[in-house]
Formats: sequence, C-alpha cells, structure tokens
Amino acid sequence: MESIISFGIAMLAAPLFPGVILKMKAFWAGKKGPPLLIKYYTFFKLLKKGSVYSNSTTFVFKMGPTVSLGAAIMALLFFPLGGTAPILAFEGDVILIFYMLALGRFFTICAALDTASPFEGMGAAREAYYSTLAEATVFVILVLFYRLSGALSFAEFFSGPAPITVMGPAGALLLLVIVSLFMVLLTENSRVPVDDPATHLELTMIHEVMILDHSGPDLALIELGAFYKLFFYAAFITHILHPLQYGAPWVNGLVFYGIMALIYAAVGLTESIMARFRMNLVPKFILTSFALVFFATILTMGVIK
Amino acid sequence: MIQLADAFLAVILLSVLLSLASNRLKALVKIMALQGIMVSLIPLFLAQHQTLEGGALLLMQVMILIKGLLIPGMLFMAVKRVSIRREIEPIIGYHASLFTGLMLILASAFITDRLQVAMPGNQVLLMITAITTLSAGLFLMMSRRKAITQVIGYLMMENGIYLIGTALAKQTHTMYVVEFGVLLDLLVAVMVMGIILNNINSAFDDVDTGFLEELKD
Amino acid sequence: MDTFFLAIGVILVAGILPLTISRQFNLMKSSCLLLMAAGCVIGLSEVLSFLSNSGEAAAANWAWLQIFTLSFKLDTISAFFLIPVFLISPLALLYSFHYLEKPEQSTRTALNYFCYAILVASMALVATANNIVTFALAWELMSLSSFFLVVYEYQAKETRRAGYLYFIFAQGGAMFLFAAFGLIYSHTGSFSFEQVAAIPENIKLLVFILAFIGFGSKAGIFPLHIWLPHAHPAAPSHVSAVMSGVMIKMGIYGIVRIYSLLGSVDMTFAVIVIVAGMITGVLGVVYALGKQDMKKMLAYSSVENIGIILMGLGIGMVGVASGVKTMAFFGFAGAFLHVFNHAIFKSLLFMGAGAVLHKTGTRSINQLGGLMKRMPTTGRSFLAGSIAISGLPPFNGFIGEFLIYFGAFQGLGLHGLPFVLTTLTIISLAVVGGLATACFTKAVGLAFLGEPRSEAAAKADEAGFTMQLVMVLLAASCLLIGIFPEPFVQLAFNGMRDLNLVGAADPGLFLTLVRNIAMTASLFLALIIGITLLRRMLYVRKQVERGPTWGCGFTQPTVRMQYTGTSYAMSMVDFYRPFVPAKTVYSGISKIFPGLTTYETRVEDLAEKYIHRGLIRPLVKYLHKLRWIQHGKIQLYIGYIVLAIVALLIFI
Repeated sequence: MESIISFGIAMLAAPLFPGVILKMKAFWAGKKGPPLLIKYYTFFKLLKKGSVYSNSTTFVFKMGPTVSLGAAIMALLFFPLGGTAPILAFEGDVILIFYMLALGRFFTICAALDTASPFEGMGAAREAYYSTLAEATVFVILVLFYRLSGALSFAEFFSGPAPITVMGPAGALLLLVIVSLFMVLLTENSRVPVDDPATHLELTMIHEVMILDHSGPDLALIELGAFYKLFFYAAFITHILHPLQYGAPWVNGLVFYGIMALIYAAVGLTESIMARFRMNLVPKFILTSFALVFFATILTMGVIK
Repeated sequence: MIQLADAFLAVILLSVLLSLASNRLKALVKIMALQGIMVSLIPLFLAQHQTLEGGALLLMQVMILIKGLLIPGMLFMAVKRVSIRREIEPIIGYHASLFTGLMLILASAFITDRLQVAMPGNQVLLMITAITTLSAGLFLMMSRRKAITQVIGYLMMENGIYLIGTALAKQTHTMYVVEFGVLLDLLVAVMVMGIILNNINSAFDDVDTGFLEELKD
Repeated sequence: MDTFFLAIGVILVAGILPLTISRQFNLMKSSCLLLMAAGCVIGLSEVLSFLSNSGEAAAANWAWLQIFTLSFKLDTISAFFLIPVFLISPLALLYSFHYLEKPEQSTRTALNYFCYAILVASMALVATANNIVTFALAWELMSLSSFFLVVYEYQAKETRRAGYLYFIFAQGGAMFLFAAFGLIYSHTGSFSFEQVAAIPENIKLLVFILAFIGFGSKAGIFPLHIWLPHAHPAAPSHVSAVMSGVMIKMGIYGIVRIYSLLGSVDMTFAVIVIVAGMITGVLGVVYALGKQDMKKMLAYSSVENIGIILMGLGIGMVGVASGVKTMAFFGFAGAFLHVFNHAIFKSLLFMGAGAVLHKTGTRSINQLGGLMKRMPTTGRSFLAGSIAISGLPPFNGFIGEFLIYFGAFQGLGLHGLPFVLTTLTIISLAVVGGLATACFTKAVGLAFLGEPRSEAAAKADEAGFTMQLVMVLLAASCLLIGIFPEPFVQLAFNGMRDLNLVGAADPGLFLTLVRNIAMTASLFLALIIGITLLRRMLYVRKQVERGPTWGCGFTQPTVRMQYTGTSYAMSMVDFYRPFVPAKTVYSGISKIFPGLTTYETRVEDLAEKYIHRGLIRPLVKYLHKLRWIQHGKIQLYIGYIVLAIVALLIFI
C-alpha cells in the first residue's frame, strides 16, 4: 500500500521538478523566472488543445507518445521511490527496464522519421547515436552494482543486505558512478550540455526537434513521459547519494524529495554555467562517463578481491 | 591510511585517462602538474614507507617542487612563449586514446596478477597504477604529433617508473637517490626541449615533429 | 526415428514431384507446398513429442557402399535445431507461392523447388547425422543445394559472382571441417561420433579450432562472413529467409555439437567463442548500419545475431569451465532460444524486404519511403520484426538476450579472465542492442515511414495474399513468444538436456524469472492500451486537422530533402571508423558557377578488403604462373588423370 501511495506521489510530483531547473536557471541569470508550477500549467493547456497531423504520418506517429510514456511509467513501477519498496520487483528487472526505455526511444525515433521532415530525421539520427553510447555506460554501471551487491534489481540495489551508497565501503567508486550517471542523465534527457531544447535553431537540437510535429495532447503525453524519465534517473542518483533507511516513511519521503530537488538544482546549475557542446564533442562526453564507470569496475577487480 | 592511498591512486589513474582524452595543451600541462604532486605524495600513505627520515622527507619536498611546479611551469612557459597552437593534434583520436587507456588499465591489472611480485606492502592497485602510467606515457609519446607532448609523455613515464620503484622498494633511501637522478635528467630534458622548441619554431614556424623529418638527408 | 525418415521422404517427394508436372504451374506449386507442409508437420510433431517426453535418444544405422555406415541419431540438441527447419521451411515455401509468379519460368521454379526440398532434407540430416561420413555427406548436400538456390537468377552477373563466392566459402569451410574430422579419425580410428571424446586434450583444441573455422564460415562469423551479404541479396527472398533464418544455424549446431562431443571443459574454447562472438556481433551490426541495401543490411544483421548467439554459447562455456552452473545454464539456454527466435524474425524480415523488392523493384533504402501506407500489412509485420530483432520487450528477441545477460551477470563473481570476458560480453551486448535499435529504426523509419523517395516506391501496392499471410503469422508469433515465453523457454531447456557438460540446473529460478518477464510484458501491453484509450478520450470533441509537415520555416520542402539511410547512419558508422573503412568519392566544387558534382560514400567491409588484399591477390599472382597446366587439350588432361592415379597407387 505504501508503495502505491509513494508511486502516486511520484507520478504527481514529477512535473514539479523541471520547474526547479527553470527557477535555478533564472536565478543565475538574475531573473525572476516562471512559477514553479509552470509545467503543470503547460500540461493542462496542451490537454485542452486539438492537434494538427502531418499528411505524411501514419499510426506510428501516434504511437510515439504513448509508448514512450508507457516505458517511463514502467521504469518508475520498478523503482523504490522515497524509501518504500517498489510496486514490482524481481531479479533481473534492471535489464528489462533499460530495454523498456529503449523501446520508448525506438518509437520516438520512428515517430520522428514518420513526418518526412529533414530536421526531425536529423534529431532522430543523433538520438539514436548518443543513446547507443549511453547504453554502454548504463550496463557497466549495472555490472559494477552487481559486483557490489550481487543483485540485479533496483529493490535489491538499494534496500538489500548491502545497499549501494556513497556512505558504504565502496564509496570512492560510487562517487565516480554518480558523476557518470549524472552525465548519462544529461544525455538521456536531452539537457545542456548535450542538447539545448531552448535554442532558436532547430538544426542544433536533438530531442526537441524530434517532436516538432506533435501537438496538443500528444505533446502533453510526450512531455509527461520526459518528466518521468528524468525523475527516474534523478531518483537513481538520489538513492546512491543517500540510503533511505529512516524509520518513518514520511521522513524517508522528505529526505528523498529534498535530495531530488538538489539534483534538479544541480542540473539547472550545469545548464547555467555551461554551453551546449559542439555535436562532435558529445560522444566524447558520453565516452567519458563510460570511462569513469569502466574504470571503477576495473578497480573492483584489483582492490576488492 | 590504506584507504587514502587507494583514493590517491584512483585519482592518478583518472589523471592518466584525462590526459589521454584532453585536447588542450594547457589543460594537459595542468593535469600533469596534478599527477606529479599526487605521485610524489604516494609514499606518505604507504605502510612500508611510514618511517620517513629527514633526508627522505627533504627529497620528497624537492620532488613535489620539481614535478608539481618547476617542470609544469616551464612547460607552460614553453606553450606561451613559442605560441604553440592550443590543440594537441593527435595521430590516434581521443576516443580511441581513451579506449586504449581503459584497455591499458585492464592489461595492467592482468600483468600485476600474473607477475606475482613480492611487494612489501602488497599494494596491488599501486602496481596497476604504476604499469598503467608507464605504458600510457609511452602511448602518449607515440600517438601525439607535437614535440611538447613527447616530453609530457616522457614525464608520465617517469611518474610510472617512480611508482614501480615505490611499490617494489622496501626501504626508501636508495630509491630516492636514484629517482632524484632521473628527475634531474628530466629537468635538463625539459630545458633542452624548451631551447629546441624555440629553435624549431623560428626555423619552421611550427613545432610539429613531422617537420623534423625534413632534417634527414 | 521411423517417423523422422518418413518426414524426410515426404519432403523429398515434394521436391521431385514438381519436376514431373512443371507444365501445370499452379498445380505444381500447390502440390509441392502441400507435400512439404505435410512432411514438415510430421517431422515437427515427431521432434516436439521427442522433446517433451524425456525419452532416450533414437538412433538408426544403414550400411552404405559396404564400407561406410550411415548413422543417424536424434537427441535433444538435434531435435531443438530441427524445430526451425521444419517450422520455417514450409512457411517460406508458402510465401514463395506468390513470390515466384512467372508461369513462363515454370521449369526453373520446379528446379528451385527441387533444390529447396533437398536443402530442407539435408539440413534435417545434418542435424541428426551421427558419424563423420554421414555428417560430411549431408553437409555437402546442404551446401550444394543452397548454392543452386542462390544462383536462381543466373543471368545476372552479380548473382553468379555471389554464387561463386558462396561456393568458395562453403567448400573452403568444408575443407577445414574435413581436416578436423581427419584429425579425429587419425586418433580414434573410427568414423563414429561416440569416440571423439577419447582423443588427447591437446589435439582437442586443434580439432575445435579447425571445426570452429569450418562451421564459422557457414554461420557467418567475422571475418568469414563475407559471402552472406552477397549471397542473400542475390537469392530469391524465400531462399534468403531460409538460408539466413535456418541454414546458417547449422553452423551454430555444428559448434555446439563438436563442443559437446569433445567434452572438454577447457577455458580456451570459451575464450575463442566469446571473442569471436563479440567481434562478430559489434562489427556485424555496424556494417548493417552502414549498408543501404535492405537485404545486405539484413544479411549483416544475421552476422550480428550469430555474434549474439556465440556470446551466449561462450558465456555458457565460461560457466562450464569455471563451474558456475547457473551461468552455464543461462548462457546456453539464451543462445538456444535466440537460435529459435532469430529464425522467426529474420525470415520475417527477409520476407518483408522481399515483398518490397517484389513491388518496387529496388532494395535501396534511399529509394524507398512511405510504404506503410501503401503496403500496410507488410509494413506492420516488418515493424514487429524490427522491434523483435532489436531485442526489445515485449517481443521474442528480448527473451533470448535477457537469458544471455542474466547468465553473463552470474559470472561477474569470478576473478581474472572469466570476469573480464563476462564484463566485455555485457558491454558488447549493450552496444549491439543499441546499434541494432538504430539499425532497425533506420529500416522501418526510412523505408516504410515518411514520404516515398522514388516513383517506384510511390506506386507500390500490397504484396500477394500468401506473402501477407506468412508475414502476419510470423509477426504474431514474435509477439506471442514475447508475451508467453514459458513453453518456448521450456523447449530450449529440453533441447539442452543432452548437452551433458551443462548438467541440470534448478528449474525453479528461471521459471519464476520467465514468468516475471511474461507478467511485465503483459502489464506493459495493458499499460499501452490504457494510455491509448486515455489518448482517445483526450481527443474527444477536439479539433483534429491534417496539414503538411512543419518545415521549420522552409516553405517548399521536397521529398529529396528527407534524411536518407546514409545520412542517418553516417555519424554512428563514423564512430567506428578504424574498423569500418568508408570510401568517399567526391568530385569537388571548382568553378565560380559550379557544374554537376557527384558525391558518393560507400562502407567497405574490412574483412573483404584485407582478404582480397592479403590472400586473393598474392594467390592469383602465384597461381598465374601455373596457367600453363591448363591449356585446353583434352588428351593431356586424361594424361594428368592417369599420372595422378599411378602416383597415388605407388605412394599410398
């Protein structure tokens, strides 16, 4: 029961946090910035609208938003949110979840290619490219986590007998993991410095250009899916940063959402102090994240023997 | 204490990876400075080197000075004075270099496993780091075009040799003396390089080692 | 065993009958189809009942030419590899009913059916052969019949070249096999497979390497895969479907068989298989990305999947060698299941590509587009196949890969070499998975979605009925296996029963695992349906319009501005540059008012390039000096033969 309530809260709260990013960016720019609840307003505004579909599109175009949202929700179902046990968990669920997210990407890419727009094709190609690299990082993280905890499930990672946390014995290694996971977060969720959704030129975008032709409720679903995906990665980092093993569930929840806010603020800070990379530097960025975790994994070989 | 040594070694390894992936000369020099300081500090955290005597301590301080300040400072000057272009111009690309770095770490872990040398402190990670630093230095010399990166590669190799020495030596004295000699050699090398760079620069308007090929008859 | 031979007999009759009644085109096709279906159903029922009962392996022996014995044995490994043979073959034949629809070529069609039946029968015999002679015979029969199937359109020079290339690789591979068999024979003095385990350990490794090369050239292991991307596009689509889906798996069968026969638990075997698997997998999919010819792309993707299967086998072998039982079990189970799954979705995809080729006349992705509207059934089944082959849930490709992953993760507790191998395997699997997704979004997104890029693609219409029927069937089974994997996983486990090295593992663990995946898959489907309904509701009483695609301010977009397959894949292929040499021909812009300029970029195959440069060219150079032997005088040729016989009689 607790898990379901926690899941429900996460579902409702996810759109709040991107507002934190915006606030943070506005703060560093010396502006007042949009209200914290801005994402809710846009969401409901989009829901009220109708849609225009391109003549080129088929049913695949309409499946893009649905599947990507579904995949993101699935990911949250398996994740221990705010210290409660996840709704579903079994040995090996991590592999399934990352493949689910890949399925969401498959349909987003296909939906973009369905519009026959050269810009969206470009975005799709980039998304496909960068995600192949980021996938490798994610799986090395899983390898490392298996080395540390002997488990293959989110629930076991964070609440098993040897929870994975910076406070634990392998803390130094996990610092590396956190950095690289943060880099993956930026990549997978199309944030600066990998992708800048706020530029004026479609040529320089990745994710935002792929969904150019989606409008109205379709766009709202895509945005919601993106919020959940970001929430998922941020929660991942949160759990490594701090184990949630306080007695009372509400304390756990408060700590969890507090750290979450900090991570979103860190994303906002990154966006304020960095510019988007040149496209040919992005692979290097992702590879650095790969190198960090791979390095940490090799260290487990030498040190923890 | 052991934990801290491991953390330092991890940072050294990371600096090796970073140096392979960095595309700016200045950044590379800074990384080398950091690496030099870290490497010089390592003996402080090792159990078998715990009893440092006055002489050894002094040597170490001098070493930090040379590795962390003097050589990087001179390299920095060279970069500025000779107005070398800031890019590194690799022969083997950054991605490939990074992968090579990772593979080197892996290979070093293996070699350490195979060697089974009797190390006094049984510092496995120290040995891994040492071999990686050594071979990465060689790789850097091999895969970069500029004269100055050759020197940096050599510097990195020297760091590696020093680490191997630290791992194998039981007592500190003799090793430091030898090490110090090497260091002085290196210092001279850097100076010579500065002069040569200056000359190459005035002769060819560039410091690409490729131009040295023209010197053969 | 008798039922099995009955099935083979019926299949052979299905091959011979068309030769006699080739005048009645449709009668010939349908009678062949019916007989083939009957034969395969008989075979399939025999195999399935054998797998589900825990019976003893059945064997049969026939004397042949007084000296040799033809010996057959049906154990669970054979039985499992027979399932795709008996399942895909009749379906592909059904597909060909509307694919080969030129009555004026009825004789050739009849010959095609004849060779097809021989191929099916010989594959079944390869899987059951139980001594060296039988195996070699069946293996050669399989190579030959498939060679004739490849050169179906022999008038085209391309096709003939592809055929010869295939022939060379088939025979070259067979030579390695014979070398391996010869070694076995010289140590055991018997043709039987039963005594192979008796040979000394150091010879075992050599035998394994030789056999691995031999079987690898059939399976398409890098760098012996060169024939695949040439032969598959040249062959008619139903043939490529069977060759890629079923026949190359016989190479895998051979590797599994020789491994189980040798019965050695050496780590070196595992290292060979796993490293070959990683290289094959990653490079296969990168080349697949680089190719714009649909069937070439699919051929390379077969190479990739062979890589995945090898990684699974390798993980299993590492598990066996280091005594981690679950790892061994999951590795082999994943590989087995992937063999089965790949047969289904790869034949589906080849059929889809064949339908497109049939209706548009082109295989180039850069010429296609917008086919989803014009060929809805083909498009939808191709989409399903693409998701499946990318290994994404809830389709069947995921199940096999998941088992391999799971097996690999079990090995992470090991130290030293096994640990490094398993880590690298996991990374390779992840990279291959990501690139496969990219590759098949390219295939679906550029060939079936968007706007048609050529006249031919704009005028395409839906493929014939039997073609559609088969594709829908296969696509449905992809989804079905993804959602209800349990019986199929059970099948793979039963298939491994006779793989003695692995031993039995606790079935509880993976049954719960598989049930969990199945549960998640159905949950996901329910979620998608729920969101779709929600979306429907959100659009009630909303204004929905149709308009042109937003061109980002550009007002006159043309279809030629769309991203092409080349541009889509370029940056990804570029990343693997040292391993994937791309050749660019660019005439450049020179004048102030530039005239016509050309730009062409082509991805070359590393193996092809170096084998040509390092092996073929010197070989041709030296062999050229022996040209004088061949002068065209028949009398002297007979003299050669006499000389050879005399020499043989003297020396042996």
